Amino acid sequence: MPDTVVIGAGLSGLVAAIRLARAGQAVTLLTKGLGGLQLSQGTIDVLGYAPQRVEAPLEAAASLPASHPYSVLGSAAVTAGIAYAQELLGGHLVGTVDRNVLLPTAVGSLRPTCLVPTSMAAGVVTGGIRYALVGFRQLKDFYPKLCAGNLERQTAPSGEAISARGLVIDLPAVEGMADSSALGYARAIDGSAYRAKLAATLKPLLEDGEVVGLPAILGYRDAAAHRHLEELLDHAVFEVPLPPPGVPGMRLNEALTTLAKQAGVRIVAGAKVVGFETSGGKILSVGQATAGRVRQYAADTFVYAPGGFESGALSMDSYGTVTETIFGLPLHGLGPDLVTADDPANQALFRVGVGVDARMRVVDPAGTAPYSNLYAAGGVLAGAIRWSEKSGEGIALASAVAAADSILKGA
Amino acid sequence: MFSPDSHEHDLLNRASLDHCVKCTICETQCPVAAVTPLFSGPKYVGPQAERFRHGESVDHSLDYCSSCGICTHVCPQGVHIAELNSVARAAMKADHMPLRDQLISRTTLMGMAMTPLAPVANAVLGFKPARIAVEKVVGIHRNAAMPTAHTRTLVGWLRSRTDPKNPAPRGKLIFFHGCAQNYFEVETGIKTIEVLEHLGFEVIVPKQGCCGLPLQSNGIFDTARSWVRKLVAQLREAPQDLPIIACSTSCGGMLKHEANEILGVTDPELLEVGGRTRDICEFLLDMYDRGELDTSDWLPNELTIPYHAPCQLRGQNIGTPAVQLLELVPGVTVVESGAYCCGIAGTYGLKKEKYDIAMKVGKPVFDKIVETNEGVAACDSETCRWQIEQATSVPTVHPIAFIHQAMGLSKLPVSTGS
Repeated sequence: MPDTVVIGAGLSGLVAAIRLARAGQAVTLLTKGLGGLQLSQGTIDVLGYAPQRVEAPLEAAASLPASHPYSVLGSAAVTAGIAYAQELLGGHLVGTVDRNVLLPTAVGSLRPTCLVPTSMAAGVVTGGIRYALVGFRQLKDFYPKLCAGNLERQTAPSGEAISARGLVIDLPAVEGMADSSALGYARAIDGSAYRAKLAATLKPLLEDGEVVGLPAILGYRDAAAHRHLEELLDHAVFEVPLPPPGVPGMRLNEALTTLAKQAGVRIVAGAKVVGFETSGGKILSVGQATAGRVRQYAADTFVYAPGGFESGALSMDSYGTVTETIFGLPLHGLGPDLVTADDPANQALFRVGVGVDARMRVVDPAGTAPYSNLYAAGGVLAGAIRWSEKSGEGIALASAVAAADSILKGA
Repeated sequence: MFSPDSHEHDLLNRASLDHCVKCTICETQCPVAAVTPLFSGPKYVGPQAERFRHGESVDHSLDYCSSCGICTHVCPQGVHIAELNSVARAAMKADHMPLRDQLISRTTLMGMAMTPLAPVANAVLGFKPARIAVEKVVGIHRNAAMPTAHTRTLVGWLRSRTDPKNPAPRGKLIFFHGCAQNYFEVETGIKTIEVLEHLGFEVIVPKQGCCGLPLQSNGIFDTARSWVRKLVAQLREAPQDLPIIACSTSCGGMLKHEANEILGVTDPELLEVGGRTRDICEFLLDMYDRGELDTSDWLPNELTIPYHAPCQLRGQNIGTPAVQLLELVPGVTVVESGAYCCGIAGTYGLKKEKYDIAMKVGKPVFDKIVETNEGVAACDSETCRWQIEQATSVPTVHPIAFIHQAMGLSKLPVSTGS
């Protein structure tokens, strides 16, 4: 019997599982599909807007309302979560939890984030930077001239101008193919011969001192692709994330899944958790709908990291009733007017979720734990609108590490 | 085209499609779309095309889907993409089923024809001019991996051996060997039975026919339904409260879910049999997890074993129990292939127009096995083993062979006998 069953294979589920397994626990991770990391941009956001653009995420997190996950977690937990991401993905990520940076998006806006993949680091906006944004005629998800035009309308944090121009090159991912996905290009760029061809096409078009922005396609399996292209071009190169599923998110997913397996986590993928058994205020087992039958997975503790509305872990019916769909847990943030016409991006509904105490144990709004061995982490937690705050990865990491540590302390 | 009241029509029009949020995660994981432009990917031919089908198939690149099922496995929204596409492909082929697909989907026929003539059959299959003729006339690629026939079937072995006199304190089990273990991989069937008997089970092997999976994956649904129903009845002739152990992942998966989810068989008898069916590694690992599998006297084996988890095992959603089970053998290090599919996908890679695609799909698996093997590799599914052996020349066995050896039951080390 495993010590802990983790439900969910997104950032929080994988990180909690790795931390527990590395501490010696037997961990089984149940997931219905691939986790949400594939849909991420590959960056680690901590807090980008509160609601104004944030420069120092830890500092800004300290003045969030008491119901926000960061307030429940405390800043030490946020620091610990980010530090753990750096420990696990040291080679891939650069940055510090004390400071946000701004990265160009595919449409040329500037997005605050905290830790960035090494393949994006050269794109961080600085005063006087000169971008050359490069698109491919055969890749429909990136329009470099649109991106460049919008970038030029903005300024760097120092107030200095940003210079940017867009270039389109005619280079199919596969000979003769008129339309390729970002992943198709990434697979091509995994080959060093294709990189040489790309560099030969691009280099004559570049001007001295330009920082080259390419769509996020610089290698899927080959981690050295970005560095190699920089050498070939003799220019700093960065990736601009494209609409999901994005290659940087896929890389992050693969890296963490590999670490989980190496740590001995048993991953059971492909089926939804559909039920559970309890006794004496504890969860005894959860049932996964595997082929032909529901298989029960018993454990001492359970980490619930399924994501929120987007994964179906939280659901609202046509009468406006919101439920947590596996355990029927009490929800926080409920009330009248969950959805109003006033401010579409800022609905109270989006803050509804599962509440936890400082140990990440699931609690009802009165602070009582319905089950003494059920912990929650990541997107299911109440109190944050992750996509507008740009706080998803930070909450996931901090809560996953906090949940794992309190389980280890209790064990 | 299917009649409007058929199961196929229901599936083609079912509302579960609305769960698809078009995230395209399935597209990123599809092993076929990754290597050929001839297949546009599971979402495009499936949830996307579905809205235009009205019972007919609209995107004929669907024929290049290998039915490996990875799309369904990775879908974070629970859309049955592979099942949907299997049904749509059956609709597409319904009026003009190629003779080749009719032939290769009848494993029992092949087995029955080849067994009495095993040396001749093997010689013919190993004879290039004969294979070129078969490719031209029937459409089976000249280089595709074909099974090796044996002069003795598993059923023949069971009939000829003296009854095991070992005590059976753990009670009885039913063994579902599938066609491959009966005709082509007799050794795997024997080893599975011997391992279970060594553990103290009495193994019952009821008379059994083909589960119909090859027919199903070639779109021949009606015959497949009658075959799986017949098999279910045969398995139910043994006591009905016993677990059914399968060592063929694809045939086990047919009983567990595919006959229900793809063929639409809803007989309570099938669901009952499917619910009792366990993959052999799943069964043994469950025993270990319950503290019922004593590994203290297992013989050490200092060996790195490259292991490939077949698509049909993933489709059962039980994880990769063979990995944990093999690692219980002292000295064994398991290296996972890290790829979803070896390319064969049952009979897909046999077809002359699909062979090159199948080999490209399997390349990461082959590369990993060639790079890491110490003389032998492991994989749970027979057709995958044949494909891997053919592509890598590395002998590839069912994981049970290593457990058999660790229990001291094998006369020869696994790498020299298959």
